[in-house]
Amino acid sequence: MTDHPSRPAIPSEPRQHGVPPRVRARITRYLLALLAFVLIAPLVPYAAAYLGAGNVPNPGAGLWNEVRQRAGPADANTQARGVESAVLINQVGERWRQFRSEMLVPVGAWLLLGTLGFLALFWILRGRIPLEGGRSGQLVPRFSVNQRVVHWFAAILFVFLAVTGLVLLYGRFVLIPILGPEGFSATAAACKEGHNLFGPIFPFAVLAMIVLFLRGNGFNQIDLKWFFRAGGLLKGHPASSGYYNGGQKSWFWMVVLFGIAISISGLILDFGVFGQGREVMALAHVVHGGVAVVFIAASLGHIYIGTVGMEGAFESMSHGYVDANWAREHHDLWLAEMEAAGMVGVEPNALEEVKRHDNIDFKGFGSPGTKAVQG
Amino acid sequence: MFLEFVEGPLWYFSAVVFVVGVLWRLVDIWRQPSRTDLAVPRGSGVPGALRTIVTRSWTAKGFSRGATFHLVAGYMFHIGLFVLLIFAAPHVKFIEERILGFGWTPAPHWLFMVASDLAFAGILLLWLRRLMHPVMRKISTFDDHAAAILTFVVMLTGCLALLKSHDSLRAIHMLTVCLLMVYFPFSRLMHAFTFPVSRAYTGAAMGRKGVSA
Amino acid sequence: MARMKFLCDTERCIECNGCVTACKNEHEVPWGINRRRVVTINDGEKGERSLSVACMHCSDAPCMAVCPVDCFFQTADGVVLHDKDICIGCGYCFYACPFGAPQFPTGGVFGSRGKMDKCTFCAGGPGEANSAEQVRKYGRNRLAEGKLPICAEMCATKALLAGDGDVVADIFRQRMAYRGAAGLGTGWGVAYDKGLRKASGLDGKAAGKED
Repeated sequence: MTDHPSRPAIPSEPRQHGVPPRVRARITRYLLALLAFVLIAPLVPYAAAYLGAGNVPNPGAGLWNEVRQRAGPADANTQARGVESAVLINQVGERWRQFRSEMLVPVGAWLLLGTLGFLALFWILRGRIPLEGGRSGQLVPRFSVNQRVVHWFAAILFVFLAVTGLVLLYGRFVLIPILGPEGFSATAAACKEGHNLFGPIFPFAVLAMIVLFLRGNGFNQIDLKWFFRAGGLLKGHPASSGYYNGGQKSWFWMVVLFGIAISISGLILDFGVFGQGREVMALAHVVHGGVAVVFIAASLGHIYIGTVGMEGAFESMSHGYVDANWAREHHDLWLAEMEAAGMVGVEPNALEEVKRHDNIDFKGFGSPGTKAVQG
Repeated sequence: MFLEFVEGPLWYFSAVVFVVGVLWRLVDIWRQPSRTDLAVPRGSGVPGALRTIVTRSWTAKGFSRGATFHLVAGYMFHIGLFVLLIFAAPHVKFIEERILGFGWTPAPHWLFMVASDLAFAGILLLWLRRLMHPVMRKISTFDDHAAAILTFVVMLTGCLALLKSHDSLRAIHMLTVCLLMVYFPFSRLMHAFTFPVSRAYTGAAMGRKGVSA
Repeated sequence: MARMKFLCDTERCIECNGCVTACKNEHEVPWGINRRRVVTINDGEKGERSLSVACMHCSDAPCMAVCPVDCFFQTADGVVLHDKDICIGCGYCFYACPFGAPQFPTGGVFGSRGKMDKCTFCAGGPGEANSAEQVRKYGRNRLAEGKLPICAEMCATKALLAGDGDVVADIFRQRMAYRGAAGLGTGWGVAYDKGLRKASGLDGKAAGKED
């Protein structure tokens, strides 16, 4: 471009056609140089890195990536026999620790304390839900012997497992300051062994509960209305319901789902002899602990309403009979069915009960000396 | 300190009460006057006695349906209890060191645990049925409940001491064991020794009458 | 105050398992427990490397954080130890540990593991140093005798280094210096090359011993 001003420039002159050959050649040269620059420029850092030798990719990176198993399980082996003994870095430990320390412990504590606080508040505001009409003296049979046995079987196991489990979860923060390290060690050892031994019985209790309580626990339209009326918990707003109300059905299905989840995860944790690694164990622990605190929180509500929270409720599970007025106030549709079936006002006659629940043929008792008595 | 007292003086006291009490009860039963059977026996009493000891271990015909619960839970509890009592490694060790001077091959840990689970489930179910069943509740006395609860507590404290590393837990287990042993001869727990006696007595009487029962 | 560290030089470890054997012998470790183990990556292939691994005595030890009975403690030297009288054998430390260091004598059903056992950096445990009880529960206390962990002492190729972190780091830094910028993954040819070592001026001298 240096000689541009010296050129006689008469642009408007129509004497020449197109660009002069000299200019065209020069433009071509510029374009070629530009092309070469564009092509070579990106290679410069590579070349500099290559020649400078200061930025060689670390040949050890591959090894440490394998140690950390960044691209799946490493091709590793060891003379040490044991589950995952060839794993150099445990991939789930830190995540499990964070879940337990930062989620399970604090969130679980807030959930349980919150539930207790809510129940205390409810107790203060609403008090014990009374039998509005008093006791009628007429009894309605509600739960069979087998249902009650299985309920309390599961309940005893549940409370024992919940208490021992909570000691293991919160003992370090709550009990060590009280009992000291040695005292709490004995407590925790007892709780751990008790939890591990009683745990495997619980699945059978859950199964028995499902078998004996499944009937009548399907949700229907009535439950929807029951939920909209807040289960009749508010004064003067009764909610209609059949044999089970929406809350009881919800609790039943919680027992089923939580019970199965907690049983399977618990068995995985308790029987670590099938070669399950830390990933499976940690996952099982997450499920076990997470479900457990929700299960326990929900059970607090169940225990509250079944004992101090409502007059006339506990006897359904202790003696198996409820007062007709209790049934009228809490399970009106069921009472109507029972009245129609002539089951209201039955006497809690022991022999009648045995007949109904055990289906024993009592014919033999009538005449002494027959074969039945010999047995 | 506490463990030494429980495993020392208290243990010896309980063992003496247990042995003397059980023997005294058995001798007392033996010396009960029985009415002389004047009838000419139609058969020997011995086979009847032996047969009845065995046959009464199963439900009689006609009661099988109603007694399934007791049969299953009863055997769960009793078999479990005897496996864990006689074949648990710590018990075998205790028997060897403190009672007989010799031991035997203990059950593997898993069998001990499974037996314990069966026993725990069995005793809980049986006791709950005692509470929940109107007839069972009516015929149960304080003794029945006390024996069931005491046995359960002994088993529970044993379960809690499974880690075998804390003297306090072992002492609590031993304390409840001592309580049970002192209570044993004066309660229905005596059925552990009297059941063959009672069955044999009935069986012998039936055998002499020529009745298969 | 020293901050105790282990370091395994992957360019030197020849998977002889001498450290494992030395550890087991020194502490009478029961069968089934490996306080230290050697893991080989890509065994028999190009780029094969071995690593001796045990408890790394973390500063923020996950085992200490998750222990429900709080049985762990860290000595002034940074060694993570635990009290077997307090331990209940729950296995949480095994879940949390990055290195698989916590081991259990029995892997039975019903969660019966027995008391946890792990590398003590040859520093025993709570109680009187090298008392019969301490030796039975935790093995020899070499640190109390002024000695370093037996695994590193016995290492034939000096791949495994143990001791004050600063000294260990100096030794490793000098090794890195003569291996060149490539550092890791250079292979035994570089790691043991006499010429390179001479050229780096570090022939035959370990940094720690020069101090």
